Amino acid sequence: MDNVLGFPILSLSIFLPTAGALLIWLFLKNENAVRWAALIVSVATFLVTLPLAMTFNSGTADMQFGELYHWIPAFNIHYQLGIDGISMPFVILTSLLTIVCIISAWRCIQTRVKEYMLAFLILETTLIGVFCALDAVLFYFFWEAMLIPMFLIIGVWGGKNRVYATLKFFLYTLGGSVLMLIALIAMYFKTGGSFSMLAYMDYPFNFEWQFWIFLAFFVAFAVKVPMWPVHTWLPDAHTEAPTAGSVILAGILLKMGAYGFLRFSLPMLPDASQYFVPMMVGLSLIAIVYISFVAMMQTDLKRLIAYSSIAHMGFVTLGMFMFTQISVEGAIFGMISHGFVAAALFLCVGVLYDRMHTREISAYGGVASVMPVFAVVMMFFAMANVALPGASSFVAEIMVLLGTFNPSPEAMASMPFSMKWVAILAATSVILSACYTLWMVKRVLMGDLKKEAVKGLSDITLREFGFFVPLIMLVVWMGIYPLPVLDILHVSVANLVDQATSSKLEDAALIAQSAAAHVTGH
Amino acid sequence: MANVTFPFPFPQHLELMLPEIIIAIMAMTLLIWDLFLGKDKKAWIAYATIATCIGAAFATLYITTGTPLTTFYGYFVMDPFASFSKLLMFLATVFAVILSLDYMKDEENVGEYYCLILFALLGMMLMVSSNNFVTMYLGLELMALSVYVLVAYQRDVLRSSEAALKYFILGALSSGMLLYGITFLYGVTASFGFDAIGAGLVSANDSAHGVVMLGMVFVLAGLAFKVSIAPFHMWTPDTYEGAPTPVTAFISVAPKIAGFVVFMRVLHDVLPAVQADYTMILVFLAGLTIIVGNVAAIAQRNIKRMLAYSTIGHVGFILMGLIAGNAAGYSASLVYLTVYLFMNMGVFAIIILMRRDGIQGELLDDFAGLSKVRPGYALAMGLLLFSLAGIPFLGGFWAKYVVIMAAIETGHLYLALLAIIFSVVGCFYYLRVIKYMYFDEARVSFNFIENPLMKMTVVVTALAVTAIGLYPEPVIGICRQALVGLI
Repeated sequence: MDNVLGFPILSLSIFLPTAGALLIWLFLKNENAVRWAALIVSVATFLVTLPLAMTFNSGTADMQFGELYHWIPAFNIHYQLGIDGISMPFVILTSLLTIVCIISAWRCIQTRVKEYMLAFLILETTLIGVFCALDAVLFYFFWEAMLIPMFLIIGVWGGKNRVYATLKFFLYTLGGSVLMLIALIAMYFKTGGSFSMLAYMDYPFNFEWQFWIFLAFFVAFAVKVPMWPVHTWLPDAHTEAPTAGSVILAGILLKMGAYGFLRFSLPMLPDASQYFVPMMVGLSLIAIVYISFVAMMQTDLKRLIAYSSIAHMGFVTLGMFMFTQISVEGAIFGMISHGFVAAALFLCVGVLYDRMHTREISAYGGVASVMPVFAVVMMFFAMANVALPGASSFVAEIMVLLGTFNPSPEAMASMPFSMKWVAILAATSVILSACYTLWMVKRVLMGDLKKEAVKGLSDITLREFGFFVPLIMLVVWMGIYPLPVLDILHVSVANLVDQATSSKLEDAALIAQSAAAHVTGH
Repeated sequence: MANVTFPFPFPQHLELMLPEIIIAIMAMTLLIWDLFLGKDKKAWIAYATIATCIGAAFATLYITTGTPLTTFYGYFVMDPFASFSKLLMFLATVFAVILSLDYMKDEENVGEYYCLILFALLGMMLMVSSNNFVTMYLGLELMALSVYVLVAYQRDVLRSSEAALKYFILGALSSGMLLYGITFLYGVTASFGFDAIGAGLVSANDSAHGVVMLGMVFVLAGLAFKVSIAPFHMWTPDTYEGAPTPVTAFISVAPKIAGFVVFMRVLHDVLPAVQADYTMILVFLAGLTIIVGNVAAIAQRNIKRMLAYSTIGHVGFILMGLIAGNAAGYSASLVYLTVYLFMNMGVFAIIILMRRDGIQGELLDDFAGLSKVRPGYALAMGLLLFSLAGIPFLGGFWAKYVVIMAAIETGHLYLALLAIIFSVVGCFYYLRVIKYMYFDEARVSFNFIENPLMKMTVVVTALAVTAIGLYPEPVIGICRQALVGLI
C-alpha cells in the first residue's frame, strides 16, 4: 500500500477533472473557450495518470500508490485508493478516451457546449474513481454517481428516442447495482464491520454466503457488462447516445462490469465463482454466438456495433471464468483492446453521421470512393474488430481461446461436458464477427456510388484524423508487441488466479467450528 | 409527581421550556401587532416569525445539556433528542416562512397565517418534549388544529377547502383512534406517563394481553395517520395538492419530524414489552408504505401530488429505522429526516417559483425546458431530485444507506431488499421531472418572481444535500449524539 510518488496522485487524477469542471462552470462563458479549457483539463488529467504507468512496479501484486483516510468513521468507511496491474490500464484508458471524446465533440456538439463538457469531465472523475477505489462503499459511490452524468449525456444530446433509451439505461443499471449494495452491507456485518475490499478478499465466507453474494454481484455486473439476457439497454443507449457518449460507453462503462467480476466475484467468492462456471460459460457463449447473429441482422450502424460489443464482452467473461493465467490476461487484454476498437468504430459512425445525419446502413454505399482516407481508417478498425492478426484484439482472442482449450481444473470441475466443445463454439466467433463486420463494410464502404447524398461527402478533416491516429497506433502496437501491457498484468493476474482457484471453505469451516466451540464453552 | 396537591407549587426548572415560552409569547404578540400593521407591511410579521425561530433555536441550544431533564412535574422532558428535533423544526419553519413571503402576499389576513405557523410549531415542540400521553395529545391537537386552518387558508379556492376538510375529518378520526388506544393502555397500567406505562406493560398480567394488543394497535394506527404510513395515507395526496404550496412544504416536513419523534418515544419507552408484536406490524406497514408511495407516484401529473406519494415512500424508509429499534436505527431515521428536510424544502421552493404569469406551475409539463432558460434553478432542482432518488454523491443516498444498514443489521433483510428495489422504481418519477427540465423545449416563459431569501433557500438546500452527500459524517455523528439519554 505504499506510495512511491509521495503525493496523492490517484486523488489528483480523480478530482482534477471535477476541479477543472468547477472552474469552467464558474468562469467561462464563451463556447470555444469552454472547448479548449475542457481539452486542457482532460489532457492534464492524462498527463497526471501517465506517471502511474511509468513508475508502476509490475513485480508485485500489492496495491500501489495507496491512499487511506477516514471518511465516515461511524460506519468504518474509508477513503481508500490503490491500483494494481488489473486496474492501472483502465485508469489510463479512461483518461485517454476522455480526451478523444472531447475532441470528437468539438464540432458536432453545438448546443449547450458547456454542460456537455462539464458532464464529460465529471463522468471522468467517477470512472477513474471506480477503478481506484479499494473501499467497497467508495466503489459503490463512484459506480452509481456515474449514472448522473451519463443519464444527462444520453438524454440531452442524444437522438430521437433518447428519453426512452436513457431512462432504460439508468433504471437497468441502478436496479442491478442496488443488490450489490445489499450484498456489501451484509458482508460488512459478516466480516465484523469492515468495508475494505482487501479484507473481503481475505475473509473466508462459507459457501452459502458466497452463493447469495455472488448472485447479487452477478446481477450488478452482468447488467453492466452487459451479458445476455440483461443486455437490451445497451443497443438502445448506444444508438441514441451522441458519438462521444457511445465511445465512453463502449470504451469504459462496459469494462466496469467485467472489472467488477475481477475485483469482487473472483477473489472474494472463489468457491461460488467455481460453482457458477457453467452458468457464466453458458451466458458467454450465448453472447458470442447468438448475439453475433443478432448483430448480423441490424440495419442501424450503431446498433450493429453495439451488438458486436456484447459479443466481444462474451469473450471477456468467458476468459475470466477459465481461471488460468493466459485466459484471464487475455480477457483483460481484450477489454483494453475493445476499448480502443469499439471506441474507434463508434467514432467512424460519428464521422458518417455528422455528414449524413443517418445511421441506416442502407443509406450508404460506395463511401470509399468519396472518402478514401476515411475508408482506410474504418476498414482498419473493422479488421481489428474481426480480430485479424496484427491487431490487438487478435492477441486477446487467441489468449482466451488457448485458455478455454486448457482451463484450470477448478473451472472444469463443475462443467457437465468437456471444455473443448466450449472452445470450439467460442471459436466460431472468428467467423461470425467477420460475417457481420465485413458485410457491414461491404454495404457502407464498398459497392457502386448510387446515392446522391453519398456522392457529396467530403473526406475526414485533420481534426477527425487526429483522434484516429493514436487509436490506430495503440491497436497496432498492442497487436504486434503486447508484452509491455501483459507485463503489467502478469503478477496481479497470477495473484488473482491464485485467489480464484483456492477454496475459502476450509477456513470458513474452521471459523464455524471455533465459533461453535466458543458457544459450548460458555 | 404522585403527591401533587392543590394548589400546584410553582414548577421547578421552568427554564427548560424557554423555547416554548418564547414561541408562545411571540405568537400572541404578533397576533396583536398584526392588528396595527398596514396591509403593505405584513411582511414584518414574517420577518418577526423568522427572528422568533432563530431566537428560540438559540434558547434551545442554551438549555441543552447532555442528559435528559424534566420539568412541569415530569410532564415535559428536555433531552438532546428533543432539542435536536426542535432545531430541525425551527429550520423547517424558517424555510416555510420564506417560501410563504411572496406566495401568500395577496391573501387576506396574512399576519394571522404566520401566527398559525408559530402555534403549529409550538404544538410540535410540545409533542417532541412529551413523555406523557396527555402532553403529547395536547401538543398534537394544537399542531393539528393550526395546520387544518393553514391548509384552508386560500378559502376561496375550492380545492384548498376540500383538502382542509378531508384532512380535518381524517385527522379527527385518527386522533380518536389514538385516544382510544391510550385508554386501553391506561386501563392496564393506570398511568399516562411513557415510562410508567412501559414498566406497567412489562409486569402486566398475561390475561391483559388482549387489551394491551388493542391499545397498541390503536396507538400505532393513530400515529401512523399523522405521519402518513400506508394504509393510513389516504389524506396525504389530496391535502398536499390542495393546500397552498408553502403549507404543503411545511406539513410535508415539520409534522413528520414531530410525528416520528413521538413514534420513537412511544415505541422505545411505552411498548418495549410488546416489541416482537409491534415489529411484525411495522414491517408489514413499512413494506406497504414503500410500495404504495413509489408506485402511485408514477401515475401523477401534478408535482405536488407526486411529491405527496414520494413523501409516503420516504416515510416507509424512515419507518425502517424505527423497526430496527436500536440506536443505529433511530439515528438512521433522524439522518433521513434531516436530509429529507433539506430536499423537500428545496424542491418546494422551486415549485413555488414556478407560479408565474397566471400559471400554477404545478404540472410536470410546466417544468419543460427550465434548464435552458434558468440553468441555475434547473441544476439545483436536478441535484435535489437526484438526492430524493437516492443517487450518490447526494445526501439522499446516505439517508437510504443508513436505514438500510440498520434494517440489515437487525435481520430485516427482506424488507431492505423490497425497499431498495422500490427505490429504483421510485427513481423513475424523479427522473421524469429531470427529463422535462433538461430534455424538453420550453413552451412558456419563466418570468419568476424572485426574492433574495427564496434564492438563498434554493442555494442553501442544494448545497446542503451536496455537502451531506460528499461528507455525511457530521450529520450521522450529530444524529447519534441526539439519542444520548433516550437509548
